[in-house]
This record gives sequence, structure tokens and C-alpha cells, in this order.
Amino acid sequence: MSDNLARVSFSLEPEPFETSAPARRGFRLVSPTPSSRARPRIFYALTAVAGMAAIMVAQLLLSVGISQGAYEISSLQSSQSELGRTAASVSEDLVRVSSPQSLAANAEGLGMVSNSNPVYLRLSDGAVLGAPASASGSRAGAASLVPNALLNGSTLLSQLPADPAAAGAVAITSAPVVPAGLAAPTTR
Amino acid sequence: MSVRNTRSSSARNNPTNSRSSRRRTLVTILVLFAVISVFLVRLVDIQVVQADSLTKDSVGNRSVGQVVYGSRGEIVDTNGVVLAGTVMRYNITMSPVNATPFKRTVDGKKVEISVADAAAEIGAATGQTGDAILLTISTALEANAEANFAYIAQKVDVDVLRAVQNLHIPWTYSENSPSRVYPNGAVAGNMLGYLSGEGVPQAGLESGQDACLASTNGKETYEKGADGVRIPGSSVTSAVAVDGGDVVTTIDSDLQWFVQQTLAARAQETGAAWATAVVLDAKSGKLLAVADYPSVDPNAVGATEDPQDRGSRAFTQSFEPGSTFKALTAASVLDSGVATLQTGIVAPYRYLPANGANINDSHSHPDQNMTLTGVLIDSSNTGMSKFGEKLTDQQRYDYMKAFGVGTPTETGFPREDGGILHPVDEWDNQTSYATMFGQGLTTTALQVASIYQTIANDGVRMPVQLVEGCRQADGTMTNVPDTTGTRVLSETAANDTSDVLEMVYQKSWVSSKWNIPGYRVAAKTGTAQMPDGKGGYSNGYLVSVSGFAPADDPQYVVSVSIADPVKLNTSAAPAPVFQEIMSQVLKKYRAVPSGATAPDLPSTW
Repeated sequence: MSDNLARVSFSLEPEPFETSAPARRGFRLVSPTPSSRARPRIFYALTAVAGMAAIMVAQLLLSVGISQGAYEISSLQSSQSELGRTAASVSEDLVRVSSPQSLAANAEGLGMVSNSNPVYLRLSDGAVLGAPASASGSRAGAASLVPNALLNGSTLLSQLPADPAAAGAVAITSAPVVPAGLAAPTTR
Repeated sequence: MSVRNTRSSSARNNPTNSRSSRRRTLVTILVLFAVISVFLVRLVDIQVVQADSLTKDSVGNRSVGQVVYGSRGEIVDTNGVVLAGTVMRYNITMSPVNATPFKRTVDGKKVEISVADAAAEIGAATGQTGDAILLTISTALEANAEANFAYIAQKVDVDVLRAVQNLHIPWTYSENSPSRVYPNGAVAGNMLGYLSGEGVPQAGLESGQDACLASTNGKETYEKGADGVRIPGSSVTSAVAVDGGDVVTTIDSDLQWFVQQTLAARAQETGAAWATAVVLDAKSGKLLAVADYPSVDPNAVGATEDPQDRGSRAFTQSFEPGSTFKALTAASVLDSGVATLQTGIVAPYRYLPANGANINDSHSHPDQNMTLTGVLIDSSNTGMSKFGEKLTDQQRYDYMKAFGVGTPTETGFPREDGGILHPVDEWDNQTSYATMFGQGLTTTALQVASIYQTIANDGVRMPVQLVEGCRQADGTMTNVPDTTGTRVLSETAANDTSDVLEMVYQKSWVSSKWNIPGYRVAAKTGTAQMPDGKGGYSNGYLVSVSGFAPADDPQYVVSVSIADPVKLNTSAAPAPVFQEIMSQVLKKYRAVPSGATAPDLPSTW
């Protein structure tokens, strides 16, 4: 067996300096069934070659796969960061339009008035505490005296162009920019 | 296999060739050694001799270092509403030396875009003119013909960034630039402070709480392939980015807005120089709102020209409080037991005490038989003097110190003023009496509110609190301030003083202007002359109202001060503001309307 393996390996890598193995040669020549040994030699050779080829192909495929993965990761990361930016920008818009200045201006735009004249009905004896009067708008209801530079250029809900189709939609003072769909990964 | 067999058999068949074969072997070995030694020398050269410089070069070519930004902490109000937050902004940069025409594919055809066209396109995206961008290019190239860097626009938002990126101009780039944003604008703006363009805190909580808010930037290195794609597994984080903690304040942003709006409206109406309003939780000493007029929008600090208007005068500006301070003297007198609510004095128009002081009231009147209640309702200086002189100067000084006069409050606000309270031995005869009715010493609006908080809270003074603490990333609170109260007055004295102030609320000449139906309220007005900055008094007055409600179970303290309201320089200026703010506070926090009727104390005898 070991002989056979040695031969296969010799055949793959010829050793030009090997000149002194007459005893072994002779030993081999008296081998009773040379033909029966030749067949496994080819079989093993083919197996080895095929194995190496398979390994090389597998390695190639793996490295292609890894680099493909790298591109995919890279593109997914960039789309993640783009989406993160969009999310940050949209939530920034949300926080801005929910600032008291924006809410008050929009409420006023809809004709609402602030009333700081509370009147209470006491349930125990039905007494009315306070002087009920229609709200005329408190001092705080005047135009915004508490500036907010972030709201510059934003439009009030009531000043949006009347559009029956848009009725019922949540109106905001400025439309956040949302990219059209998810960014498709571009792989090379 | 067959070749191998042939060669070995031929060698065996020609033994005479063994000599030449040996020579050949020798030559081959020598050549091999020569080749190997060349390789070896080169190997040693690369691996050992030049190793460092080559490694450096190769890493430089492949690796990319980038800053990982730590996020500066947020400042939030008591309900978690963000008052100051960190957002990512972007700087658009370019390489002037590479600013050349380039080709772009439009509708499948390659079109050459000139530099001027590209500049116009960038300008349209960033809100500049194309000429301005061309000027930036030429200026940079004039300064340095090889200029490879210039800013096109700084701190733009993601919409502008995307607009520029979509132009696909090869000589434009972008870089991250974390920025501070104040979503509620000027709401609490005077307290929040702001950052410089380089991100250095300049004032207010941003500066005072910087130790909590500050973040540390990290650094990350990764290797990239020839096409710029990151090589998997090559990331090395050399420094981890650490986000800052969040500062949780006691402020309620909605109430803060209302207070600022109400105050600003009245201040503009009366032509005031400046004004402050403080809302304090009477039980805990927590500040619910601290309004300043004029207010500053930290998003656009430059719009507020006077540097003084950029800070918070409620914390940093002390003034002679005037008659609101009489509540403190009354409480001291009642607490020490030298007088009761029934004690009567005679209050003349002018009072000349034995020590040589000269006290007079604001308006001429005949001698009046008054109780402490009457003195406070009429805000009589001479009457107050007759009660105050029942205590020694040292006793009154000790009460003032206990109420927090002369010491900055516990808020930890940067550059907070403690006011001026001279030691007793520096008081002259006039100061000895003047300190009884709020002159000859100065307090901040915050300190006045704290005095009323002490009276409202059954005589226990709570530390004034602006910050709940520093909330770390794991949710734990650090730097939580001490909230142990100190007893200044006996409960009886505090409640008696409260009753007197309730009489003032009902009987004062401004009572119709601060009436809040359904609630019992205790309040006092004050009118004090303002210093002219040269050691004397100016013609302006600082008018104020301080008080608390509901008086039967005090929960909220409101203190309003308006400086130099030229169109209405009496307490009638702040009274309606007090009324509106207190109504809003009671409504907002669902305070139960008072059930029992207000006490009726005698004001004369």
C-alpha cells in the first residue's frame, strides 16, 4: 500500500535525482499482479486531482462569496445609514412641529383661543366656583412672543391650500423628505 | 507515470552517464542556492530591514481611520420633552484644484458639465448663488494653487446633503458635523444656554451641566479594497465613543412656554426693560418654570443683540426686592413671638426712629392704628419699621440668612447671583430700617420665590431645585441634588404669615387685578427703585408680585418681576401676569379649588 502511494506521489512530482533504487525496482518487477496495481494508481491519482480541484473550486467560491458578502454588507450599511438619516430628519421634524409655539400657532389658526379663566363645578353641592365667561383669549394667545428659529418658513395648518382629498390627513407644517422606497443594494 | 518510468529506466540503462549526471546535479544545486540566496536576501530586506516603512505604507494605502462621534447628552424637561438635543449636520466640502468640467450621463447621453454650471447646481441645492461658489473656488486657488479643500456650506441638514450628493459632482464631498438643536426654540432658552460654533458650551445649563452632557469621540480604523469597499473583519476600534448623559430638569416645557408668552406680552405692553417670572413647587422647591424677557432662541443666539439678554436674569440679576420682602420681616416678627396678629402699632406718614433714620411711606396719610395685617395691606414702611424694630438687627439678619438671602440658591446655575446682604456691623442706621422693607439689600427673583416657598411650606425651606440629576445611558441618575429641607419658621408663624398675605390678596389695591375665582391665594406686591449703575437710584422702578396658592394647602409659588415698565410703573403691571400664570398653573396641575373660606383678620385696632 505504502509503495503504491509513494509511486503516485512520485508521478506527480518527478524527482530527477532519484537514480539509486535498483533493489526496490527489482522488488516491484517481481510483483505478481502489476496490472491489478495499475488500476488503483489511476484511481487514486484521479481522486487526488479531483479532490484538489474540488478544494480549489470551493475556496474560490468561498472567497467570491465572502467578497460578495462584503459588497452586500457595505451596501446594506450605506442604506442603513441613509435610512437612519431619514429617520433622524423625520423625527426632528416631528419634535419641531410639536413645539409649543407650533401647536399654539396652529390652534390659533384654527380659531381656538386660550382660556386661563378656569371655572369649577363642585359636585358635592353643585356650587360653581369662579365666574363663567366666554373665553376671549388670554394674554398668552397673542402672536408668538417666544421665538423659534426652527419654525421659520413653516406653514400653518389653516394656511395650507384647501384640498378635499387631503382632508383628514395629518397635516404638518413641512413635509418630511422620505426617499422613494428602500435603497436597492447595488452589488458588483 | 510512463514518463517517469522511461526516465528512470534510461538512467539505469546508461550507468556511464553518472559522472555528467553528478556534474549537472552540482550545477543545478549551485544555481538553486544562488537563486534561493537572492530570494533570501530580498526576504530579509523586506521583512526585517524595510519592514516598518513598508508596513506603514501598506496600511496607509489600505486603512481608513474615521471618527466615531459620541453624542452630547440631551437636556430634557420633567416630562422628557427634549429642550436641547444633538443632531447630525453635514459640511459640504470640495477640492478646488480638481474643480474641472466633468461628464454626466443624461438620458443615456454623456453631457459635459462646466464648472460654472456645476456651481450653479450646487448653489441651487445649498441656497447660495453659483457665483458665490465660483468665488470660493477662485479664492481658495488664489491662496494656494494646489488647494484641495474648501467649504461650500457648513452644518446643512440631510435634505441639502442629498440634493448635493444627487448631483454626482466628482469634486464635492461631505463630512459629518454633529450639531446642537433646540426644538422648542426660546422656550427655556435663557436657562439652556448655547454652544459656540465649535461646540464649546457658552452659558446656562449647557455650561453648568457640561460634566454630565459632554461626550467623548471614538476612533475606528478599517481596511478597504481598491474599490473602496470595507474588507470584512478588518475593523479595529481604537477608542470607543462615549455618549454624554442626559440632564433632566424640573422645568415643564408647556408651562414654561405659557409663562414666557404671558410675561412677554405684558412686558411689551408696559414698555419694560426686562422681566422675570418664576414658578416654584411649594412642597418640593422644584422650579416648574423660569421665564425671562427678553428671551433668547438658542438656535439663533445672534438675533439677541444684548449679551445680557442671552442669560437668565432670574438667576443672575439681583435687585432690591422692595415690599415683597415685608413678608419675610412679618414672618420673623411672628416666629420670634415679639408680636402677634392682634398687636397694634401707630403708623405715621413719616417715622424718625431714635437711631436717626428717616422713614416715610409712599403716600401722605395721617397716623393710622394698624395691625401687622393692616401694615402689609397698605404696604406701610413706617408700620413695618415699628414691627421690625421689635427684633434686633442680628436677629433679623439671622432670619434673612435662614431664608437664603445673600447666598446663591442650590440650583447650581452658572454665575448665579447670591444678592448682597451686608453683615450687621456694616449696617448704618438707615440700612437697619430699610432692610425691614426690602431695601439696602438685593435678592434675585429666585430668592424671593424661595422666601415665599418657605412661608407656603409651613416654614420649611426646600433647596431650590432646577436639575433632577444626570441620567446615564443605563438609566441610573447621578448628581442628584440634596432635597433635605430646613425649618426656618414654626408652623404657626408660617401659617399666620400666610393668613396675613391672604388678607393682602383680598384687600390690596390691586386685588381686582389678580383675582382667581375659586381659590384662596396669598400674595404681596413690591415696588422698588432701581440702581442707576452709578451708586444712586434711577427713575425706574422694579415692580413685582409674589404669592402662592391655594392658600389653604399651598402648592405653587409664583413670583413676577417687571423692571422699569415705563408705561405703568406700579404693581398693576405684574399683577395680571401673576393672575394668569397662577390660574394656568392651578388649572394645569388640577389643583383642587379651595373649600374653606379665607380668614378675616383685623387690619386696624
